[in-house]
Amino acid sequence: MNNLAKIFGFDPKEYDQWQLNWAPEDPWLIAVSFALITPLALWFFWTSLRRISSTPKKILLLSLRVLAFIFLLVILLRPELEVKKNHSLKNHIAILLDDSKSLSIKTFPKEIPRIDLVKETLEANKEYFEQLKKDFHVDTYYVSDGIKKTNSSLENYQAQRPYTNFANVLEELNKDYENKFLKGVFLFSDGADLTQESEDISQGILRPLSRINGPVHSLQAGSNDNFKDLALESVSAPDFGFVQQPVHLSLTVYSSALGNRNVPLVLKEGGRILVSKIIEIREDQKHYKVDLQFTPRKIGKRIYTLNLPRFAEESILTNNQREFEVDVARDRIRILHLNGRPSWDSRYLREVLANNPRVDLLSFFILRSLGDDVAAPTSELSLIPFPSNLLFDDYLSSFDLVIFQNFKYEPFIDKKYLTNIRNYVENGGAFLMIGGELSFQGGSYSRTPIEDILPVSFKETSTRFLNKDFHLQVNETFSNHPMLRLEKDLQLNQEVWEGLPSLHGTNLGLIANKDAHVLAEVETESGSPIPMLVAGEYGKGRTALLATDSVWNWSFRKSGGGGRYYQRFWNNIIDWLISEPQTRRLQLESDKDRYREEEQVLIKFKLLEKNYQPAVNATGRLTVSFCSSEVIAKDLKTDELGEQVFSFLPEETGFYEAEIEIENLKEKIMFSVLKDNAEFEKPLVNEFILKKIAQVSGGQYIELNGANDLSSIQFENPEIKIKSHSRSFSLWDNWWAYGCVVGFLFLDWWLRRKAGLS
Amino acid sequence: MHCYRHPSCFKLKGMRKYLFITALAFFLFGESALASASDSNLTLPRIVYEGGNDNARPEGMRSLLAQIARRTSVEVNREPISLKLSDPNLFKYPFIYLGGDEAFEPFPESDLNVLRKYLSYGGFLFIDDNSAEADSGFDRSVRRMVTRLFPQMPLRNISRDHSVFRSFYLLNTVSGRAIINSYMEGISLKGRTVLMYSVNDQAGAWSRNKLGDWNFDMVAGGYRQRQLSIRLGINIILYALTLDYKKDMVHLPIILERLRRYQSP
Repeated sequence: MNNLAKIFGFDPKEYDQWQLNWAPEDPWLIAVSFALITPLALWFFWTSLRRISSTPKKILLLSLRVLAFIFLLVILLRPELEVKKNHSLKNHIAILLDDSKSLSIKTFPKEIPRIDLVKETLEANKEYFEQLKKDFHVDTYYVSDGIKKTNSSLENYQAQRPYTNFANVLEELNKDYENKFLKGVFLFSDGADLTQESEDISQGILRPLSRINGPVHSLQAGSNDNFKDLALESVSAPDFGFVQQPVHLSLTVYSSALGNRNVPLVLKEGGRILVSKIIEIREDQKHYKVDLQFTPRKIGKRIYTLNLPRFAEESILTNNQREFEVDVARDRIRILHLNGRPSWDSRYLREVLANNPRVDLLSFFILRSLGDDVAAPTSELSLIPFPSNLLFDDYLSSFDLVIFQNFKYEPFIDKKYLTNIRNYVENGGAFLMIGGELSFQGGSYSRTPIEDILPVSFKETSTRFLNKDFHLQVNETFSNHPMLRLEKDLQLNQEVWEGLPSLHGTNLGLIANKDAHVLAEVETESGSPIPMLVAGEYGKGRTALLATDSVWNWSFRKSGGGGRYYQRFWNNIIDWLISEPQTRRLQLESDKDRYREEEQVLIKFKLLEKNYQPAVNATGRLTVSFCSSEVIAKDLKTDELGEQVFSFLPEETGFYEAEIEIENLKEKIMFSVLKDNAEFEKPLVNEFILKKIAQVSGGQYIELNGANDLSSIQFENPEIKIKSHSRSFSLWDNWWAYGCVVGFLFLDWWLRRKAGLS
Repeated sequence: MHCYRHPSCFKLKGMRKYLFITALAFFLFGESALASASDSNLTLPRIVYEGGNDNARPEGMRSLLAQIARRTSVEVNREPISLKLSDPNLFKYPFIYLGGDEAFEPFPESDLNVLRKYLSYGGFLFIDDNSAEADSGFDRSVRRMVTRLFPQMPLRNISRDHSVFRSFYLLNTVSGRAIINSYMEGISLKGRTVLMYSVNDQAGAWSRNKLGDWNFDMVAGGYRQRQLSIRLGINIILYALTLDYKKDMVHLPIILERLRRYQSP
């Protein structure tokens, strides 16, 4: 090496090895070609030397030619001298520490969390691992549904991750050691991987396992011996339900080592118990299938809680309670439609309602009044008694909308039930009165609760009902109102209204309240318009009135597509009255219904003016409450679209309520920030999977007790040499290589000339 | 021809009574009592056509309206109205009556188009053969007209569980002045019967003069047959006004119980 260093001028201390490299991709091809051509060429050359008698001279000339060929071959093979320095590398050992939530489960007989067994084992084998570090690179990872490299101090080692997925863990481990020398793995875990079926191991685990070039030793934290638990293992609840329609739940209760006892399973909404069921727990049975049924009474997102009692001796208590959310919607709009007498107006409206698949219609026609002489016994009539008690006492709250169409309440409804209707609307119900001679003052509703809830007051007039043709005039201020939107395009909508057939017959003496929305009216010669379509709010409910009994003409005459618009008109009125979301002036929503821990919550609200134009620069107060206590209160101003957005990071997990209040309008939504407790649904240790991993990879399976001696576990440690730096010197690309070829040929030529050869 | 079957056979005594009552009503209630009532009130226009006799029972509609006003809560407009199918006012009245006792000229195609539209938009047509004869000229004209009106939908017998037999009275027979057929025929569009046809001269059974005397004798029947005809007339009107209301679930238990216990004759 020293001689080479002198020749090529490098520091011999920097390099400890040299090597000759041939540059062409296939040097043997050149060598073989040369080996075939050269003897032939030399033979021709030798025969050309016949005229030279001196054998030594002939040999000299041939030698010169051979040397020229040799140097030519060297140039073609482009040899390089590489001097280099090598050094040894350590192999790797990976320690995988399961940090999923299931490691927090108490294990017996020590009654300590599984994670503590892992910590104790690591502590007890500290020297072993220190020794291991001398021979190997020992890398520590926290693993759950992925891997995360950490130092070996274990300061942050906590059972906190929500899921376990060994397939992901092994895939990521392979990726991390792609160009490294992994010679073995320690896997500290309870094996509780919910993605795996019991007594089975998936190809998702076996495939990456086979790519690990070393044994995987499974060290099982905890055992199932004497595992005591009562758990709601799985709950299957629909995301959506319908109000007044039963919702079915099916769930599995898990019980282990709790003896024979009866436990109550309780379903609650808030503090109210909806259903409870006694489950007979038996020693020899672990799983109990339970079916429950409950009926939501209110619309919206409802949060329900399932509870099992908690016993002190249980390994885990968090799985004794489960929350779930059901978005309760109307399956159909329940409408009570009372008609004072059969008429074309009532017939056409009934047809619209009865043919609307969204509507569940209960209609009554007063076919016979007290003064009528039917000239037949009751048994020959199809008439039934009017069930006013049932309708207005027992079942009133089950209706989404009550319609009085040309209906005089006396003698069919006791006056006290009008108060029930007022209370019903006040609590969020909807009421519509449609005109006719028996409506408003004609129905004796003056100074009754019905006058209170309607957006008009009644004035006694000499003529209560005017039989005269008129054309309904839409109030331009409310042209955006959802009730009036027969077409989306405003201009087209206006044209549609103007093209509708004229009507006949108007209720008089209706004075719109101050906060009423007079959506349509009729011009009079006196100049004061008659309110025809008026909408208003009373308490939490909505009411409206239509002061004519002739809109059926829009369906029958059908000029300008009236039939379609007639249906749309009534659908609009129904939607608005029952406060369908698109008809609300204040709309509040969150971007999600359910958030995970540490996820940003986004709340958006929109405010429309009374005429349904965006309310700009309106200030509203947004409050967010958690467990009935306010956590955020903020004043927010709407932008030019009448909207505003607010985001925050919830600190706690649980159910939140957001409320926005602007201009006496309130909207409320609920959302949940839920802990991922899937790990506790199947809290048992999975011995099978850990044993299988060890078996397939050639490792050992060890059940930890906190004091296991791991020193018997040894790993292969072949020497790994790797080049750290090198330097190359060309042996052909220099003057003396070419000079030798040319020189030998020249000398050959000169001697031949001297010998008289050409 | 029997005197009762012709409109010119009004008794003078009846005329005087009518005039007296009309004058008294005018005096007592003033003009407003007789002014045109609400648009939703029931009017029964009679269809006028070419040829035949479209006014064979001139008091039929008025008499039926009087019975409706007396027996039900339906508000009626009692003025007799007659219309041609081509009359633009046709679409003010969702119920029309077409009666006669003789063959009539075929309706022009334009009229049939109007009638087709009228029925599909929600109108109702009651056809009544006043001839009291089987296979009458009027009957043949009607069937020809219906075939042209709905070529794909022939007249079908109206079944006994149709709402028309329970819309007010519980009925299990089809009566009339002369019971030619024990059934009515009809045509339904999208579940709604838009046309009903009786050959039993219903209007003949309904017709009475202003003094309350029946205009036409019943054929092979008496008071009960006339009452059943009036009940059927009322049921037809109530069906047009309420459609299948009486098939709502809320009515079924009581109606079925009554039908079981008191089968109406």
